[in-house]
Amino acid sequence: MTAPITLSIKNLTVTYKAARGLVRAVRDVSFDLHRGECIALIGESGSGKTTLGLSLVRLHVRAANIAAGSLIYHPKQGEPYDVLKLSHEHLRRFRWKECAMVFQGAQNAMNPLLTIGTQFLDTASDHDWHNPREVAQRGMELLRLVQLDPKRVWESYPHQLSGGMRQRVLIALGLLLQPQILILDEPTTALDILTQRAIIDVLRDLRKQLDFSMILVSHDLSLAAELADRVATMYAGKLVEMAKVDDAFYRARHPYTLGLVKSVPTISAKIEDLRSIGGSPPDLIQLPPGCKFHPRCTFATERCRQTEPPVEVVDALHEVMCHEWRNVINPVTV
Amino acid sequence: MLIKSYVLRRIIKAVFTIFLITSLVFFIVRLMPGNPVDIYISQLMIEESMSYTQALDQAAALFQLDFNKPVVLQYVEYLGNLLQGNLGQSFRSKGTPAADIIFKYLPWTLFCVGSGLVFSFVIGLLLGMVAGFKRNSPLDIGISSLAALIGAIPNYLIAIMFIVVMGSVLNILPFAKIRGSLSPGVQPEFSLNFVQDVLFHAWVPILIYVLSTVGNWVLLMKSSTTSTLEEDFVTVARARGLKERRILTQYVGRNAMLPLITQLAISIGFVVAGSFAIETLFVYQGVGALLLQSIQARDYPVVQGIVLIITVTVVTANLLVDLLYSRLDPRIRVR
Repeated sequence: MTAPITLSIKNLTVTYKAARGLVRAVRDVSFDLHRGECIALIGESGSGKTTLGLSLVRLHVRAANIAAGSLIYHPKQGEPYDVLKLSHEHLRRFRWKECAMVFQGAQNAMNPLLTIGTQFLDTASDHDWHNPREVAQRGMELLRLVQLDPKRVWESYPHQLSGGMRQRVLIALGLLLQPQILILDEPTTALDILTQRAIIDVLRDLRKQLDFSMILVSHDLSLAAELADRVATMYAGKLVEMAKVDDAFYRARHPYTLGLVKSVPTISAKIEDLRSIGGSPPDLIQLPPGCKFHPRCTFATERCRQTEPPVEVVDALHEVMCHEWRNVINPVTV
Repeated sequence: MLIKSYVLRRIIKAVFTIFLITSLVFFIVRLMPGNPVDIYISQLMIEESMSYTQALDQAAALFQLDFNKPVVLQYVEYLGNLLQGNLGQSFRSKGTPAADIIFKYLPWTLFCVGSGLVFSFVIGLLLGMVAGFKRNSPLDIGISSLAALIGAIPNYLIAIMFIVVMGSVLNILPFAKIRGSLSPGVQPEFSLNFVQDVLFHAWVPILIYVLSTVGNWVLLMKSSTTSTLEEDFVTVARARGLKERRILTQYVGRNAMLPLITQLAISIGFVVAGSFAIETLFVYQGVGALLLQSIQARDYPVVQGIVLIITVTVVTANLLVDLLYSRLDPRIRVR
């Protein structure tokens, strides 16, 4: 990856206070997001991927706490800075202008009492873009890019649009201020299959036309396969594997990534090849010792039960946290 | 076409409701034990120490009423008069139309309870929003507990405690002078003197009204604000980097206020009913006090008139609010 770094996540740890104890939702996660790149964060529910996505704009719930780490952001112009150290006002300006986030379940993401156009305008205005005609022009252009009827949508209220349209409106709104980073949290969940297709196409086209990096939080591997350059697998709050998209799907070195890939039906594979991962994700308050995946892992050895594996380098762009990675081979035929 | 028929349907329904309540009240008033003549007679006997015959003579002279007329006929006559806009003559103040008496008291109530409602609503809204935003902070706990506490005390108790503490224990306020709506000799006119006098007499009843109702507004607004804050669009508004003030007003405030509008409509409707407890305690010349007096004297036309006016305002306020809602909330806008 030769493109310059946009966001450098270092040793990020996020914890929640729960009645039973401390939930370690994100543990010591580090990776770099490069300019123009799309990284998919995959993993089961509860693996910490949404928490990670939210903490990138510091929108984690109040009970959560970013316990350690840094988020070094490299703006287009100027010196890099740590997002975690921004003051209230600077953080507000950072949000959406530098890093926009399209949420899971965007059905209710817009204020029901204001028209779409008004909400484009107030977003721009609060980021010191005070030229309504320019904003409207740009906003409608983006609405056209996400394949909506700009005039009609601009004057609509959120309830007058379908779920898929609202999701696209939010993507368009996300790109209004030309952020360097767009975080998409499950952008296609809860949408029908045709709308999902449309959203994927829109995102792919947008990325060709506009220059921005993307972090895609999803448990939908097909979405990751279509859009991502690199795939980051999360398990129990840890980043267990980071690989180029082809490597992740065809040469996964972590048994968990392999398990995720194998649980997705493909057209060529027989139904017998489909495997789910046995067991369930671990209790994040009382994590098992050693590798957190070992109770569910078919490759586990005594060493896995005792020590948590370090990050091992498979090749320049492929890192994995597994003692047994050399033994993990993807049996799925291409 | 649709909107026309919707509004029309609502109006027909409203008129029917008014008719129903008016009729019900007509019969219920007459079901009350005693009748105007008997009550007047016993009052004369007690207060003026008259003999029964004397009192009966005087009563008969005052009330030229035929209570032997069948109730159904009285009812038909009443409805007939009502259709012509005639509420009938007061039994008590002979020769005075009930409407005249009511309209003499109504402005005082409108002013006193009306401004009380405005203050109460605005203060409640603001405090409720603050409590909702600062949920579980000492400020919220303070506001909410206080609101729950004073909201639970009946207004007459608040009024009595206020009178006892301010008038008697601390002896700060001259309640003997505050009683009534105007000081003797002050005439309604456009003068500083008149305005000052009106305020001098009204501020305590207004304060008591605010104190006794503001707690509910606070709690309503707090719960509405709290649930609005949980909405996705508020989180997204934060993610959009909107200014906090815009989020507070346009995103949270506007949405949180919607459920309170219905409640406000009902309260507006009841403004004309006044507050009989407060008005009676402060001898304020309002509709609430009048209603109480009229019920005690069995002055049917006045009672019926007041209830009719209350009904009409409540029903109209609800109708207007339903129509206003569609202005405030695009989701239920009739197109």
